[in-house]
Amino acid sequence: MTDALVLKDVRKTYGQREAVHGVSLTIPEGEIFGLIGHNGAGKTTILRMISTILKITSGTIEVYGKDVATQPDEVRKLISYLPEDAGAYKDLTGRRYLTFIAEFFATGKERDEMVEKGIELSDLGDKIDYRIDTYSKGMMRRLLIARAIMTSPKLAILDEVTSGLDVINAYEIREVIRNIAKSGVTVIMSSHNMFEVDMLCDRVGMIDQGNLIEIGTPAELKEKYGKETLEEVFVTAVKGA
Amino acid sequence: MSHLTNIIRKEVKELLTPGSIASVVLMVILFAALGGIIGDEVSKSTVMPVVGIANYEDQVIVTEDGEWNAYEFLRNLYINSGDKRITPENVDEFVIKMDKHDVLAQMQENNATVALVLSDDFKKNIEDSLNRIGTGGVYLKGEIDQYYIYTPSGMMSGTISSAVTGYLVSFMNASLSKFITGEDAPYIDFLETPIDGSNTFTYVNGESFADVTPSEISEAMMGQTIFIPMIIMIIIMMVGGIVISSMGSEKENKTLETLLTLPIKRVTIVTGKIIAAAVVGLIFGIAYMFGMAFYIGSISYMSIGSSDIDMGTLGLSLDLTEYLLLGVSMFLSIACALGICMILGAFAKNYKSAQTMTMPLSILTIIPMFITMFSGWYGSNDLIRAILFAIPFSHPMMATEALLNGDIVLVIGGLAYMIIFAVVSIIITVKLYDSDILITGLGQNKYIEKIRGQGRKKR
Repeated sequence: MTDALVLKDVRKTYGQREAVHGVSLTIPEGEIFGLIGHNGAGKTTILRMISTILKITSGTIEVYGKDVATQPDEVRKLISYLPEDAGAYKDLTGRRYLTFIAEFFATGKERDEMVEKGIELSDLGDKIDYRIDTYSKGMMRRLLIARAIMTSPKLAILDEVTSGLDVINAYEIREVIRNIAKSGVTVIMSSHNMFEVDMLCDRVGMIDQGNLIEIGTPAELKEKYGKETLEEVFVTAVKGA
Repeated sequence: MSHLTNIIRKEVKELLTPGSIASVVLMVILFAALGGIIGDEVSKSTVMPVVGIANYEDQVIVTEDGEWNAYEFLRNLYINSGDKRITPENVDEFVIKMDKHDVLAQMQENNATVALVLSDDFKKNIEDSLNRIGTGGVYLKGEIDQYYIYTPSGMMSGTISSAVTGYLVSFMNASLSKFITGEDAPYIDFLETPIDGSNTFTYVNGESFADVTPSEISEAMMGQTIFIPMIIMIIIMMVGGIVISSMGSEKENKTLETLLTLPIKRVTIVTGKIIAAAVVGLIFGIAYMFGMAFYIGSISYMSIGSSDIDMGTLGLSLDLTEYLLLGVSMFLSIACALGICMILGAFAKNYKSAQTMTMPLSILTIIPMFITMFSGWYGSNDLIRAILFAIPFSHPMMATEALLNGDIVLVIGGLAYMIIFAVVSIIITVKLYDSDILITGLGQNKYIEKIRGQGRKKR
């Protein structure tokens, strides 16, 4: 199986503080990989480095064999990044926003098809032609998920994708993620929601103070620590780390 | 603490940021410095100008009581003028003996602001008129022609030389009047003002124009000296505000991270933002320009059209090529402004902080605007000139003045400087877009952390 994402001894320093300490992991194609950790553990920093928007201090990251540090333009063609609390251009309608993004990936009929796919994924109905500043948080998140997925990325990078959403919206977005993974898209996502990660992710990496302290399937980790839930595993792993 | 005090404290703390305090301090320094520049100009207008005098040797008025010599009068006037720079030993550096031929060259050589040339009939006219007193008829006055060199140089251009020279002729009139009359003289206009100083000649770019003073030209040029710098300032501040606010909005709305992960080159994002801001800024700027033109046109004394002086005849109007150069200069200055704003915008945390970020740009536009208005490039000292040249927005403001002076080197030099400035600032912007600073801000820069760390230790 092809490796979608390979991190080798990745470190990130902010000023004089090292935020990520030599993280190494490999994610095969089609996997949903969850990064869990408390606030400030380094999850977002890792996702931002994979997304080419933060420089790697040392180590290497490869997305489908393309080096993030030396081939960022190539990597950007393969990925789609959805930041935590991301927004959209509020003066645009949902449809115009999706078209704006699609213009960077395709032209003509292909672009139109991409936009239609985005509209379908967002499931916003006639609200797709409303201005974005009229959207609720759930609607905005659905639009952004649609934006991230309609371009058919090979690697979707999702940061706290269901954060702040109600039960229904969160459920629907998880369904979308499951479906895209089935279609061959690799997903790396961060979350505070252990329940969500347990249900959704094929494998999980636990981050604490910039270190990858555990990695495995939810079942493997629960078995290793003799715990019922991933939440208990995380607490035990962090306290024991 | 009351609820009100609590809210006031919070609001004041939010408003008094290091950025806003620094901006106010900078503005105070700026206005103090501008006050100094304007004060210098005003003081220049109150000191005695270097004056040339020609054709006086054979025009000495002789009466029973003695003789009146225009040159000697000027020497004494200068020595006793109260100008601390002038002493009996160095007065010849201020009152220059000249030949009546080729006055312009002698004025340029001696750096004289004005030259007074007595007419060949000066002595004859006065003596004939004196002999005719009591018999009636026409009293001919002694004519003194005044020559000026006009240099377009802000609002002060011309006013210094014309004003002081006006006084010189008045003093000469009073002196000669007193010399030729005595206590019991009847009232005759000739006796009150025996000298006719109404013939004025002003050299504009080496060519002599009659019956016009630098002061009059300066007044007619007010429209250009005030209007152009103000318009440029407005356009630059407008496009600058658009770009910085756009960056602030991208960060506040959390759209920047998405934009940076799209499959487009950083330089494309930077260029797109710059071009869009330039187009919108120009549209707004042109709209303001029309509004301002109507406004200024309604103030009669500032209107070019209200003056009797035809600037075209004086060679003080721009031709098509010169307008083109002015246009290029304006375009490049906008490009420089956008370059600076993209750099500043990279550090804006949100829309609010973006507003504060426009302050350095405002300062950089206000400085050249005021200097151009008051003293201009040609009326400024070397330090001020260095500051003017270094600020890219000065160049379109100074371009009209330079083109009217025939100083193409300054204009072309300014264009070259602005091209380099714009390219360098765009390169820096692209580098910033490719760095962590755009996402993390300066707070996590190692140098900033070092400074903060040292600050804490000191406390």
